[in-house]
This record gives sequence, structure tokens and C-alpha cells, in this order.
Amino acid sequence: MQNLIIEAALLLFLIGTTVSVIVLKDLLSATFVYCAFSYCAVLLYLMMGSPDVAFTEAVIGVVSTIYFVVALKKLDRWCK
Amino acid sequence: MKKKYGSSVLDISFRIITPFTLIYGVYVYLNGEISPGGGFQAGALLAVGVVLARLIMGAENKIYNVSGRSAVILAGVGTFIYALTGWVTMLRGGKFLDYGFLPFAIGSHGGHMWPALHATGILFIELGVTLCVMMTIIDILDVVVERTDIE
Repeated sequence: MQNLIIEAALLLFLIGTTVSVIVLKDLLSATFVYCAFSYCAVLLYLMMGSPDVAFTEAVIGVVSTIYFVVALKKLDRWCK
Repeated sequence: MKKKYGSSVLDISFRIITPFTLIYGVYVYLNGEISPGGGFQAGALLAVGVVLARLIMGAENKIYNVSGRSAVILAGVGTFIYALTGWVTMLRGGKFLDYGFLPFAIGSHGGHMWPALHATGILFIELGVTLCVMMTIIDILDVVVERTDIE
């Protein structure tokens, strides 16, 4: 029962972060919210019992966040 | 502390996080048999260490930097290590990646699979995967950064 509650909360947080990544006008904020999405996915993978996938997701979340932030040097920060 | 890179937060986090990440990457690679992790994760961790040093210290540091050209070459070398492991077993009479035919004296009897030999073969393959993934990530970052620096 406790596991179900925690999993439901994580899933709700996952949906919230996904919607806010789409809605946000500030691309830098969207990048960091995407990082939060990645770590939420890490916790979900851990709860479902696959630490290998969780480890990969954690590392790749860091790498993709770095890529997005570096690419934002060229782009405009605010999308119209 | 002789020289600071930006602010003190960046300086201290660089001095702690980068060596820890690099050593943890090597640990994940060597311990991948019995714990979560493996070649891909170890390569990504090593690349994160190098990329953090690159982002904090800039392209002119000589300690942790890998230039774009050598990154491409080393990615090819990693793929070649993977293929070479398979070719060595083929030349000795087995199939592709048939670890029982590896030329090590841990105990191979005509292609019969022994656990120690199997682990050694996996170790070589993971070395190739680690090198390829690490250098590819570094090269992608190098391309993105240089493209933003030009304009």
C-alpha cells in the first residue's frame, strides 16, 4: 500500500514536470525541469526493481542537461 | 589554492566532483560483473568527469581535456577493441566472441566455457564500449561548444 502511494505520487510529479516542460516559455527553466523529470524517472525505475536502467537514466540525465545548457548559449533564452 | 576557476563554489566542486566521478567510472567498469552498471554507464560517467572539467576550466586546460580530433580517433579505437576480441576468438578456431577460445592461460579446454575466461572476455568488450561511449559524448560536446564559440 505504501509503495502504491509513493508510486502514484511519483507518477503525478512526472506528469506535472512533463506538462510544465511543454508549457514553459523560459528554455533554461525548461531544461532544469527536464532534469527533475529525469530524476523522477530514476526513482520510478528504482521502485520497479531495475537499478541498471535507473543508473543509466541518472547518468544520461546529467549528460543531456549539460548538452541543453551548452546549446542554449546559441539559442535565444525566451521563446515567443 | 593557487588559481581559481570562476567562483569558489565552482572551484571546490571541481576539485571534489571531477576526481570522484573519474574514479567512480573506473569502479563501475571493473565492478560491472556483480553490480548494476557496465560499459555504457562507466563510459558516460568518465565523460561527465571530463565534460565538467571542460566546462569549468575552459578549453585551455591540459589536465582533463580531450580534444575533438583525438576523441573521434579514440572512439574508433574502442570499437576496434570490441571487434578485435571477437576476431581473436575466430582466429583460434571458435565463433565470433566465443570466449572459451581466448588466448589466456586461465583454463580453456577446446572451447569449453570457463567462468574466469568468460569474465575476462566480457572485461575486454566492456573496455571497448567504455572508450567508445566516453569519447563520443566528449566529441558531441566539443562540436556543440565550438559551433557556439564561432558565432
